Amino acid sequence: MSDSDQPTVLVVEDERALIELYVRWLGDEYDVRTAEGGEEALEKFDGDVDVALLDRLMPGMSGDEVLEAIRERDTDCKVTMVTAVEPDFDVITMGFDDYLTKPVEQETLLETIDRLLSRTEYVDLEQELYALVSKQAALEASKSVEELQKSEEFADLEERIAEVRDRLDETLAGMQDDEFVAMVRELEGDGGDEREGGE
Amino acid sequence: MSYRVEGFGGTGSFDEGTSLLLTGPPALTDEQLFDVVTPRRGETAVIVTTNTSASRVAEELLDRGAAGDQVGIIDCTSQESDVDDDGVRVRQLGSPGDLTGISLEFAKLLDDEGDDAQVRVGFASVSTALMYTEQQTLFRFLHVFTARISSGGMFGTFAMDPGMHDEQAYNTIRAVFDAESEVADDGVASLRGMGFEG
Repeated sequence: MSDSDQPTVLVVEDERALIELYVRWLGDEYDVRTAEGGEEALEKFDGDVDVALLDRLMPGMSGDEVLEAIRERDTDCKVTMVTAVEPDFDVITMGFDDYLTKPVEQETLLETIDRLLSRTEYVDLEQELYALVSKQAALEASKSVEELQKSEEFADLEERIAEVRDRLDETLAGMQDDEFVAMVRELEGDGGDEREGGE
Repeated sequence: MSYRVEGFGGTGSFDEGTSLLLTGPPALTDEQLFDVVTPRRGETAVIVTTNTSASRVAEELLDRGAAGDQVGIIDCTSQESDVDDDGVRVRQLGSPGDLTGISLEFAKLLDDEGDDAQVRVGFASVSTALMYTEQQTLFRFLHVFTARISSGGMFGTFAMDPGMHDEQAYNTIRAVFDAESEVADDGVASLRGMGFEG
């Protein structure tokens, strides 16, 4: 995140009028950067950008090409594509996290960005859950039931697992199919990443 | 709404959104899984298979009374299959390790169903999938998958053979599920966890 506490959103759109509209909608809640084309988008893009709103069809460098360049640099940034027609699910495997179809409504835009930001939180929580649960499993495999019942560490562990589960349940309650596909793609992309969460 | 099942000490039902882990040797869990995921009237079923050919999965469900157009199969076995009649939809994937492919085909198979569709989801088996995927990745996949089952009001049944894994791996994976049932030699299934009413 940048200097302000607000998440940073990069709006990439070749129509000036749409940029102005999006900035008006997003300006209060987010630190908004704008770009009128692909090359400018890559100049404005850095590790501080939390969500990129990317028009798919632009003259010059296309949204797909911008996406590819973003993914080469940073995979944590969430990218939502703006398209003229509703794309097939397949498009999600290209590396987008979500899509919006034109004309984009204010409420939909705000909801989508909100959801993408909460997905970042989700990944951290989920990694913590795995670390906690595998630790619990290791303790269960090596200690007797009596030992576990007396163990304060085990009780703390169980409590923390319950907390993390509750928060994950909240984050995931409204999950739809396109998000499901995007999240699986993302976790598979992390494959072999043995980062430990929590602790 | 809930999902009626038999074989859990009589007839009972699972709450929508529940995911059940069936444990035991594959020969036993397969039969139990087919019983549990066979769609009733007004329901559909999507089965992800990593160890049994699509042809056999289709045959088992149709034998149990499903209509072909109620059944979708995501076949990760790389075995030849010739299920092209009866309206059963089969999607082939190259490997049980293709988790994105599984999620994508799952989304596509459900795309035509409404939001309030009653869907039984089968996954056989977690044990085979673990041979192709890191434990952490599979844990995360199962967590997201069961969350989707929950948000969609579906009912999931996943088979696993604890005998194929060390205790820690089994204990880690089982933490994903709401309920767990052990399938024994005499076919009686014990049950613990939440989401079931007898």
